[in-house]
Amino acid sequence: MQKKILEFTNILRKSGIRVSTAESIDAFKALEVLSFDDREVFKDALRTTMVKRGEEVETYDQLFDLFWSGFYDNLRESFGEAANGLPPGMDLERLLQQITEALKNLKGDFGDLSELARALLTADLSMIEQLIRAAAEQAGTGRIENFLQVGFFSRRTLDQMDLDGAGGELRDLASRLEEAGLSAEEIQALRKLIEGLMEAARKSVRAYTERELQKQNHDYMEKFRRETLLEKSFYHLTEEEIRKMREVVERLAQKIKNIMSIRRRRLRKGKLDLRQTLRRNMPHGGVPFDLIFKHRKKDRPKLVILCDVSSSVANVSRFMLQFVYSLQEAFTKIRAFVFVAELGEVTRIFQEKDINEAIEEALEGGDVINVYTRSNFGYAFHYFWQNYLSAIDKRTTVLILGDARNNYNDPRAWCLRDIHNKAKNVVWLNPESPSAWGFGDSVMNKYVPYTDVADECRNLRQLTAVIDRLLL
Amino acid sequence: MFDSVEKVQQSLADQDFICDKKIATVVFLAAKLEKPVLVEGPAGVGKTELAKTVAAATGRNLIRLQCYEGLDEAKALYEWEYSKQLLYTQILKEKFTGLMDGASTIREAARRIGEEDSVFFSDNFIVARPLLQAITADEPTLLLVDEVDKSDPEFEAFLLEVLSDFQVTVPEIGTIVAKSRPLVFLTSNNAREMSDALKRRCLHLYIDYPTEELEVRILETKVPEAAKQLIEDLVGMMHRLRQLDLKKAPSISETLDWARALLALNASELNEDVVNQTFSVILKYEGDVRKAESELSKLLQKKQGEAAAQAATPSQTPSATAVKKGALH
Repeated sequence: MQKKILEFTNILRKSGIRVSTAESIDAFKALEVLSFDDREVFKDALRTTMVKRGEEVETYDQLFDLFWSGFYDNLRESFGEAANGLPPGMDLERLLQQITEALKNLKGDFGDLSELARALLTADLSMIEQLIRAAAEQAGTGRIENFLQVGFFSRRTLDQMDLDGAGGELRDLASRLEEAGLSAEEIQALRKLIEGLMEAARKSVRAYTERELQKQNHDYMEKFRRETLLEKSFYHLTEEEIRKMREVVERLAQKIKNIMSIRRRRLRKGKLDLRQTLRRNMPHGGVPFDLIFKHRKKDRPKLVILCDVSSSVANVSRFMLQFVYSLQEAFTKIRAFVFVAELGEVTRIFQEKDINEAIEEALEGGDVINVYTRSNFGYAFHYFWQNYLSAIDKRTTVLILGDARNNYNDPRAWCLRDIHNKAKNVVWLNPESPSAWGFGDSVMNKYVPYTDVADECRNLRQLTAVIDRLLL
Repeated sequence: MFDSVEKVQQSLADQDFICDKKIATVVFLAAKLEKPVLVEGPAGVGKTELAKTVAAATGRNLIRLQCYEGLDEAKALYEWEYSKQLLYTQILKEKFTGLMDGASTIREAARRIGEEDSVFFSDNFIVARPLLQAITADEPTLLLVDEVDKSDPEFEAFLLEVLSDFQVTVPEIGTIVAKSRPLVFLTSNNAREMSDALKRRCLHLYIDYPTEELEVRILETKVPEAAKQLIEDLVGMMHRLRQLDLKKAPSISETLDWARALLALNASELNEDVVNQTFSVILKYEGDVRKAESELSKLLQKKQGEAAAQAATPSQTPSATAVKKGALH
C-alpha cells in the first residue's frame, strides 16, 4: 500500500500538483489513524493532506479515479460481454458445473490448469486483475511514454502472462471434454466462450496499458495548453479558447492586484504625523512610544481607452477591456471609447452591466456606433478631438488599441499630436508586428511620433507586460 | 477527542451543524494529527461557523483572531503595557531612589536598577493577544484565524513560525511553549493566494455550496418552524440562482436569512410577489437583482414544472441517493 501511495504521489507531481515530502508524510500519518474501508474518507484524507489549491481539486479527482479504481469495472464489462455471448438457455454457472462433472469422469479437475487458464474459465476477476498487474509490472508498462507504445507494451504484458499458453490449455480442455461426452451444443458454447474470454483478456490488457499511459500523461496536455495560451496570437482563437482565455486573464489580473498591493504598501509610509502622534501618545504621558506617519497619497492614473472594435482586432480589444476593468480599483477613473469609423463612449455600459456582458456589448458598438463600416482612424481621432478632448488632463494615460489600417483615408495625425500634448502618456498597442507598420494601408508610422509607447500586442504575455508597466 | 469520522459528523450535527463526510474527515484528521486546517470557499458557506461549532463540540475555548490589512505582531501576539509600566515607575519612584542610595558611581546605580529589570518585563505587564492567549491557556483551546487572506504577507510568514512549533519567543521573558496544542482553523475567502509554505503546514479544506439535499437538511435543522414544501422550493430556487452568472452568488447564510424573512412575512409559498419583495435579502448587488428579476418567471416556472412532475409520481423519494451524493460532494 505504501508503495502504491508513493506512486500516486509521483503521478500527482507529474500532473503539475505540487506535493512536498512533508505533505506526503502527512498523508501517511493520516492513513494511520483512519480506516481504509470507506473509499470517500480515504480519498478526502489524501486530498486534504496533499492538494491545497482549489483549482487542482478537479485534476486530483480525475487522477484518483484513474489510479485507484475503474480497472476492475473495466474487466467486469469485457468479461461480462464474453459470458453474454453464450447461447440462450445456457449460463456460465451451469456450463461450469457440467464441465466440473465431466472432468471428474476424466479423473481430473481444474487444478491441472495453469493459474491464468483457471481464472479465465471461472471468470475470477480479482485474480485476473492481479495477474495482469503483475505481468504489466514485469513488462515495464510503467515506463510508457506515448500512444505509439501501447501496442508494444500490451504485447509484452500478454507474453509475460502467457495468455496464448492459457488459450491452448483451454482449447485442449474443450477437446478432452468432447471425448468425455459433453453434448455438441455444449462444446460449441464452450469453444465460443473460450474465444470470448481470450478476446476479453486481450482487450483488458490493452485497456490497462492505455490507462497506464493516461496516468503518466494526464494533465500534461492541459498544462501545455494553458502555457501556450499565453503565447497564442489573438487572431486565431476558437470559441473554447476565448472562454479559457478569459479565465487566464482573470487570474493574471488577480496576480497583478497582489503585486500592486505590495508595491503600494512599500510606498505608504510618509512623513511623521506630529499631530496624530501627540494625540495617540497621551496615555503614555506624552512620551512618543507610537509614531504615526502620514500616508503618502498614491497617484493612481486616470485612463482613457480607445478601442478599435473592427473585426480584425476585436479579440485584442476584448481582453484589453477585460483586463482593465478587472483592475478597476487601480485607476481613479476609466473612460472607454469604441470606434471603427465613428467613435462613441461606452463607459456607462461598464458601470451598469456585468463585465463580460458589457464587453460583448461594447464590441457590438454598444448602440452608439455602427461597427459594420471600414476602419477610419483619422475620422475617429478627429471626432474625439472635437468632442472629448476635455476628458484628458495631465494625469491621464491614453491607451489606444488598433492596427492602424486606415483604408487609405487621411490619418489626421495632428489630432493625436494634440491629444499627446495634453495627456501624461499615450500608449498604442498594435496587434501587428512592427515590421508591418507603415506598409500597405497601415499608417502606424504616422502615429508613432505622437505616442510615448507603441508596442506590439499580439498575445497575453505582451498584454500583461503592458498593463504592468501602466501601473508602475 | 473524536474516535472516528462518523463520530465527528454526529457531534457536529448535535451542535446543529450539518456537514458532509468531507468536512468531517478533515476535522477528524486535524484533531488526530494536531495540524492546523486552512478552510477556503466562497463567503457565507459556514467556514467560521465550522470552527465555532468544533469548539463547542469539543468543549474548547474559542479564541478568535480577525485578520485585516496592517495587522501586526503587537495586535496578534503580545504587547507591553507601556502606560502601566509608566504608572508603576511613577509610583515606585521613591523605592528607586532608595535603591540607588549609597551607590557611589552612576555605573553602580545603573547596575542596581538593571537587576530589577525583570519586574517591569514580566507577565504582569504583558498584554496577551489572541495568539499568545491560545498558547498560554491552561485548558486546550481552539484558535480561529479568520480571513487570513486579508492579512499582509509579512504577517503570514510570522504566523508560520507560530503554527509550526506552537511556541513563541518573547525576548525579555524567554520562549513560551504551548501547554496543550490548540486546534487551529484558518479561514480564507481567496482574496489572495496563500503562500505555499503556509499551505504545506496545513490540512486543506475547500467548502463549496452544498448539494440540494444537504442544504434542505441544514434548513430543517436551523429553521425548524418552516414548512417542508417551502424549504424545498426555496433551496431549489437558490440552486437555480447560483447557476446564473451573478456578481455575488447567494450562499447558505443567505438561504437561512431568506427562510427567516419569509417566515416573518408569513409567506407559506414562493410566488412572484413574495420573491420580488424579498430579493434584497439574498442578492446584494443592484445588477444581480435586476438579472434575477428578468429570469424570475423562468426560475419559478421551473419550480412549478417540477412540482407537477412530482405530483405525478409522489412515491419517489430521492433521499437515499441524496445522502450518497452528499458524501461524494
